[in-house]
Amino acid sequence: MLALQLLVDGIINGCVLGTISISFTLIYSTTRMFHVAHAGVFTLGAYFVWTFVQAGVPGPVAVVLGVACCMAVGAAIQRYFYQPLAARNATPLVVMIASLGLLAIIENGIAAVYSQNVLTFSEWWGKAVVPVGGLPITGAQILSVVMGLGAYAFLRVLSQRTLLGRKIRAVASNPFLAEIAQVKPKLVYIWVYAIGSMIVCLPSALIAAEFGLRPYNGLLYLINASIAMIASGLGSITGAFVVSILLAVLQNLSLLIVPSQWSIGVTFILFILLMLFRPRGLFAPAR
Amino acid sequence: MDFFLSYIILAEIYILLALSTNLLVGITGIFSVSQAAVFGVGAYVCSSLTLNEGWPFGVALLAAIVCCVVINVLLSLPSLRVSGDYFIVTSFGIQFLCTAVFENWSSATGGTSGLPGIPTPQIFGLHTEEPAYFVWMSTFALIIGCLCFQLVLRSPFGRLLGAIREDEIAVAAIGRNVLRGKINAAALSGAYSGVAGSLYGAFLSFIDPSSFDMQASILLVSMVVVGGARTMAGSIIGPAFLIGLPQLLAFVNISSSIAGPLRQLVYGVLLVVFMLFRPSGLAGKRL
Repeated sequence: MLALQLLVDGIINGCVLGTISISFTLIYSTTRMFHVAHAGVFTLGAYFVWTFVQAGVPGPVAVVLGVACCMAVGAAIQRYFYQPLAARNATPLVVMIASLGLLAIIENGIAAVYSQNVLTFSEWWGKAVVPVGGLPITGAQILSVVMGLGAYAFLRVLSQRTLLGRKIRAVASNPFLAEIAQVKPKLVYIWVYAIGSMIVCLPSALIAAEFGLRPYNGLLYLINASIAMIASGLGSITGAFVVSILLAVLQNLSLLIVPSQWSIGVTFILFILLMLFRPRGLFAPAR
Repeated sequence: MDFFLSYIILAEIYILLALSTNLLVGITGIFSVSQAAVFGVGAYVCSSLTLNEGWPFGVALLAAIVCCVVINVLLSLPSLRVSGDYFIVTSFGIQFLCTAVFENWSSATGGTSGLPGIPTPQIFGLHTEEPAYFVWMSTFALIIGCLCFQLVLRSPFGRLLGAIREDEIAVAAIGRNVLRGKINAAALSGAYSGVAGSLYGAFLSFIDPSSFDMQASILLVSMVVVGGARTMAGSIIGPAFLIGLPQLLAFVNISSSIAGPLRQLVYGVLLVVFMLFRPSGLAGKRL
């Protein structure tokens, strides 16, 4: 019974992790840039929503406003941070360090403004328990699954059925050729950052509602999400989502034998094993 | 006077750490954000050996160096198999894993409350409790460290490391061993961290996980970047400046709950500003 509960919890957590992972995969597969500051945007999302709720805005509206703010932040980061760096011909190492610096600015800015203490949402219907097939499932968990599948479906439709999606895929496969074909890579990059940042606000708000807001937590979630992305073989949104669920299930099942404070260790050992045996990822075509 | 001397000693310890980070990040081009974790391993090994086992400082120092060398080599092994962005994830993961070990392995590390009462070393019958005596020891370590660093920079080995940063494939193509070069760089960098960690524990006679967390790793990268990568002068100027900065902030009247995040915020701003406008730092070479 405990194992079944952990399995179901794992699948549900996987939907949350998967949402973070696909938002990061969208950015990484298009721009080939390891956007560490995405963890900062993730953290910022929850604080936006919290601030709006504190100001008396009703919950769903606050989430929509938070999503819009994150979108603006993401677009601004690409336009006013990465593009000037690219204009100066910065090496990948320089961009990486700058991104790390941006993460430090966002996290510590939040800590200085909102204090380092854990903040919580005052009332939240997600704690209500709905028994599903004998298992106690909370409202927040149902919402997680809806959010995860919704975000996945949204990105699939965006990339397969819309003009912007086609442009994104064109830039991802060859920015130089795309530019010749009148697709403006710089503009597409801004869109990609905006959409990725927009999506990451949702899991952020949900996690915050469940566990409270902490300024320094984002990087841990981002590393888990990027492990799922790498394990899936980079660049496939479906792969990243599926592997996220797999990873979360394994993490949850490991709780049967390993205490929870070591779960980062379990994840990491899985990652190292994967790097040793399948460095191209689980779903990458064999060479 | 003691205040000034402790500033000198701390700066000297961090200069050793900056040299260690510089070797990996600046010279060899392995972007590692887990150097504070290695520093922590050195500090914990040396401190618990002198505190719990009653080993003399010199022997414990050697043990710490050996541990740090082994760990740093193990940690950098993934960078031989996986390149670039994969290694960043590995490096973040290692940092989180080490923090988890420092915080949760309470019987050896004292958990979050840390290890108090680390004995100060006795050298030639002299107690080094007084900063005036300790400063001789740390200065001696620093001079040895700087000499080694300068020798390495000028040696064929140093040029090999520079070549690995510029173009790994070219290095392999002319028949030089990239793998051995990286392992040696990691080992040397680990030895620096071991010495710095041992001195840190012995000087403060108290260590806790907060000195070796993600924020500390970011601080180390900031030191190298602000001072300037790939030169010894850079690794001296960076720590001397950034260790002095909090002392200056102490004169400004701000509450202690904001002071910590604000300090980290300043480091983040420095990282971004230097990467945007002067990637070579105050006294470094092109990164």
